[in-house]
Amino acid sequence: MSGTHKGEVVLVTGAGRGIGQAIADAHAAAGAAVLYLDFDPALAKSAAEAAISKGWKAKALSANVGEPAAVEAAVAEGVAAFGPVTALINNAGISPKSGSKGGKAPVWEMGAAEWGQVLDVNLSGAFHCIKAVVPGMMAAKRGSIVSISSVAGKTYCDIVGVHYAATKAAIIGLTKHLAGELGPYGITVNAIAPGRIDTPLMRGTVSAANEAVKAITPLQRFGTPEEVAATALFLTSNASRFVTAQVIDVAGGWLMT
Amino acid sequence: MSGAFDFSGKVLVLTGAAGSIGAAIARAYLALGGSCVLTDLSQTALDGLAKDLNTPDRVLTVQHDVTSPEAANAVVEAAIQRFGRIDHLVTGAGLYRDATVATMSDAEWRQSIAINLDGVFYCCRAAAAHLEPGGAIVNIASLAGQRGSKDHGHYAAAKGGVLSLSRTLAWELAPDVRVNAISPGLIEGPMVQPLLAARGPALMAQTPLGRLGTAEEVAKATLFLLSDWASFITGESLQVNGGLYMT
Repeated sequence: MSGTHKGEVVLVTGAGRGIGQAIADAHAAAGAAVLYLDFDPALAKSAAEAAISKGWKAKALSANVGEPAAVEAAVAEGVAAFGPVTALINNAGISPKSGSKGGKAPVWEMGAAEWGQVLDVNLSGAFHCIKAVVPGMMAAKRGSIVSISSVAGKTYCDIVGVHYAATKAAIIGLTKHLAGELGPYGITVNAIAPGRIDTPLMRGTVSAANEAVKAITPLQRFGTPEEVAATALFLTSNASRFVTAQVIDVAGGWLMT
Repeated sequence: MSGAFDFSGKVLVLTGAAGSIGAAIARAYLALGGSCVLTDLSQTALDGLAKDLNTPDRVLTVQHDVTSPEAANAVVEAAIQRFGRIDHLVTGAGLYRDATVATMSDAEWRQSIAINLDGVFYCCRAAAAHLEPGGAIVNIASLAGQRGSKDHGHYAAAKGGVLSLSRTLAWELAPDVRVNAISPGLIEGPMVQPLLAARGPALMAQTPLGRLGTAEEVAKATLFLLSDWASFITGESLQVNGGLYMT
């Protein structure tokens, strides 16, 4: 599929590692100019430099997606380099594990500050990024927005906190609503609900919980960041211009939500 | 991921191949290097399609009444005999007729269930034991199977059954074979003409993208789900409907 995304300008948030980096790399390999945005400037820089060293078109950006002014500044910097963003992938997310027993905090232990921080990054972050890129897409009458939800946004997953589950469910509502608002401008809006994917985030959870998921997943394994990236690449490609308001599970059949 | 949309050396069995969506799937699969066993009720229509496709070395046509279990077995045997393997199955055959439940005859109900649901079962059963590891099934369901369909209760019930059958097969054929469904919305072609004549403007107003889909767009989504790009997707149904239905 090299060359399928030539001419596209793709902004990926949380692109410094894991699923975000795989999504950004897949788009860059397919010919897009990719903006690697991460909260951690060092991670953004190393991911973008690795891409550039492969001959791909890439630029590092850094911002806390929860801060609208920072997002606007970063997007302006990216647009100045590559032109208006034609595809946005909202991937940045956090899933604190601050519980007294080592995993997620149950609701009775969760502080309001942690709740608010997760909402800022996982949900408001997507809103701020969409706000920053949508005017350009509306002017072009074309664009793709893909947000990373989660199986945890559709059903109960014991390893995440209520803040994470609530934001991932909210991403689905945001996706469907914006598919309606932005469809008349030729902009598709979709989400991906990954199941258990082998990433740094996953390895931060207890392995017994992960093994239990594998046992009840039809494909009997974890997914890879590249497999999530392939679905994102489909959703930003010309092959999916009539696909909007969808939430695609990339979960190996886990829970079949 | 490179080369994942390459079906060289792969073999697809496709029912309902002479319909507009079926023909688009066949054309796209052949363009990506695969071989096709194309089945349809009408051999005349298949002959015309094969002539258009103009790749006789990679196409086998088989006249096929999907309501017959023996015919499904014969299609699978013919595929193995001609190409030596089956990697992919797409069940595209369907029948869409108007009838309210209150006025529907037993024969109308039975015919719709026989074509739209029994036919999918027979084909999946016949192919299951022969699909290569890494293979995949895509069953073409429908918007009607997701939300029901006024004046098409038999069709909607059958397509809802196809969605549940697909998920069940996703379990039963895992981890070697993935099984997913596609639910097209309103797609350009003869099937939607009566609907458009009756309520076209209202339906377009309810579609965020403001247009009909094309058979090629359904074909591309189908090929995505067959391909290695979708290697961690099973038991899923993908709606290709421009946002007409969102839940």
